[in-house]
Amino acid sequence: MVGLSLGEKHFIQGGIAQDLRCDGRKRLTYRPIYVETGVIPQANGSARVRMGATDVIASVKAELGKPNPFQPDKGKVSIFVDCSPTAAPTFEGRGGEELSTELSAALHRCLLGGKSGAGAGIDLSSLVVVEGKICWDLYIDGLVVSSDGNLLDALGAAIKAALSNTGIPRVSVAASAPGDDEPEVDISDEEFLQFDTSGVPVIVTLTKVGKHYIVDATTEEESQMSSAVSISINRQGHICGLTKRGGAGVDPSIILDMISVAKHVSEQLLNQLDSEIAAAEAVNEES
Amino acid sequence: MAGKAGATPTTYAPSPTTQKTKSLVFKNDDVDWVRPDKRGFQQCRPAFFRTGAVNAASGSAYAEFGNTKVIVSVFGPRESKKAMMYSDVGRLNCNVSYTTFATPIRGQGSDHKEFSSMLHKSLEGAIILETFPKTTVDVFALILESGGSDLPVVISCASVALADAGIMMYDLVASVSVSCIGKNLIIDPILEEESCQDGSLMITCMPSRYEVTQLTVTGEWSAPKISEGVQLCLDACSKLAKIMRSCLKESASSLEE
Repeated sequence: MVGLSLGEKHFIQGGIAQDLRCDGRKRLTYRPIYVETGVIPQANGSARVRMGATDVIASVKAELGKPNPFQPDKGKVSIFVDCSPTAAPTFEGRGGEELSTELSAALHRCLLGGKSGAGAGIDLSSLVVVEGKICWDLYIDGLVVSSDGNLLDALGAAIKAALSNTGIPRVSVAASAPGDDEPEVDISDEEFLQFDTSGVPVIVTLTKVGKHYIVDATTEEESQMSSAVSISINRQGHICGLTKRGGAGVDPSIILDMISVAKHVSEQLLNQLDSEIAAAEAVNEES
Repeated sequence: MAGKAGATPTTYAPSPTTQKTKSLVFKNDDVDWVRPDKRGFQQCRPAFFRTGAVNAASGSAYAEFGNTKVIVSVFGPRESKKAMMYSDVGRLNCNVSYTTFATPIRGQGSDHKEFSSMLHKSLEGAIILETFPKTTVDVFALILESGGSDLPVVISCASVALADAGIMMYDLVASVSVSCIGKNLIIDPILEEESCQDGSLMITCMPSRYEVTQLTVTGEWSAPKISEGVQLCLDACSKLAKIMRSCLKESASSLEE
């Protein structure tokens, strides 16, 4: 954990109360975001996102699989997050495992929507090749390379960037007798289908320190939090998922206020992220 | 035990005052839709709690909400493991698991990591951890039968078990979830409803302090809908806490006799 003296703690809390944080930011300002796409050639799509000293990598791999018998018209997506002990010694063993499960569950909740698939950032029905028989399984892996707070927002942004970088090979199905359980498929090496990522939400985490809340908290600031709420919001301003961290109780009206603040912040973040992703993709195509 | 729950129908459905929004919610195409167990959209299942389900534990509780049946036992406070670092506040250790026969398809019966961490996060804000330094309290929850809204039932039951064990708490923790299906908000969903829901919202709160300890939302929601769902859950939570409190009072008075 972060070892802070009493003076440092007061300095952080006082700064947040006066809307001037240790690194000169205001309460609702993000650190500069750097996006790099296509960092892992073996994956179908990948991206690296840096926000200050927080550094994460997300990769998307697609494999052909069989759809769930209960949902024959949908593909499958699974999200895993790995907190490597190289990022922080506390990530070794159980500490890292707990954080990984928490982050994976939060990302799952924020990106994949309800059980019926409504509100999902990724359109699962677009992953189906042959209904009930073949679909794409998307494996989204996040890796925390270096941690300086606000991991969830960074991972959310990295996954969004990785998905817009993802190309899924076009699959042609050979005509076969109906009832054939395993139709023959031909995976094209040249033609790739791009993902529509306009529906993928961004995650905004508001960390409550004292009476105020801040976005994009650093590790030092996070150590002073009483609670934090992560809200994922899409282009339309709809809330796609929400998770609360920290055990301290919060008044319901404060949570509703946090949601409206997050909505406001998300618009700027979405625009910034989209332009960063577009710039990164342009660099990729040039090289 | 099911018979007893039926004999004293202790429901905690939100009061009619919140139902003024009902007309709004129902203004859509699927008005005629009926819930599988014939409940109203904003009517909860009867809740049944009983303390002292496990003799060996320092506190335990059994809860039954319709088909959802859970048992929670609390051990401790007992000495933290030697490997743990010194801590001047107590530790809370939570574990949620399903029995192999809890789900329609035979499960693995393994630990549910996500539920365990959710249970921990919902309870830790309510427990006065300063009262048992250097020690650990273990909360073990077992879902005997999964019938929908499993996690809210586990959380409510765990807080009754903690109270039964005499662990100091600021307030009881009550938890309720709503599902969003189409345009309707459905409180306390059962398994069938959960499997076709568009979104869900779960709140755990301390009703007397009017504080939310945990809140999760999945699926797509607009801001007004979230606040409607939150209000619905909070109202149900405060009623559920009354049922939990009366169960604790009952067990306490039967001890005196």
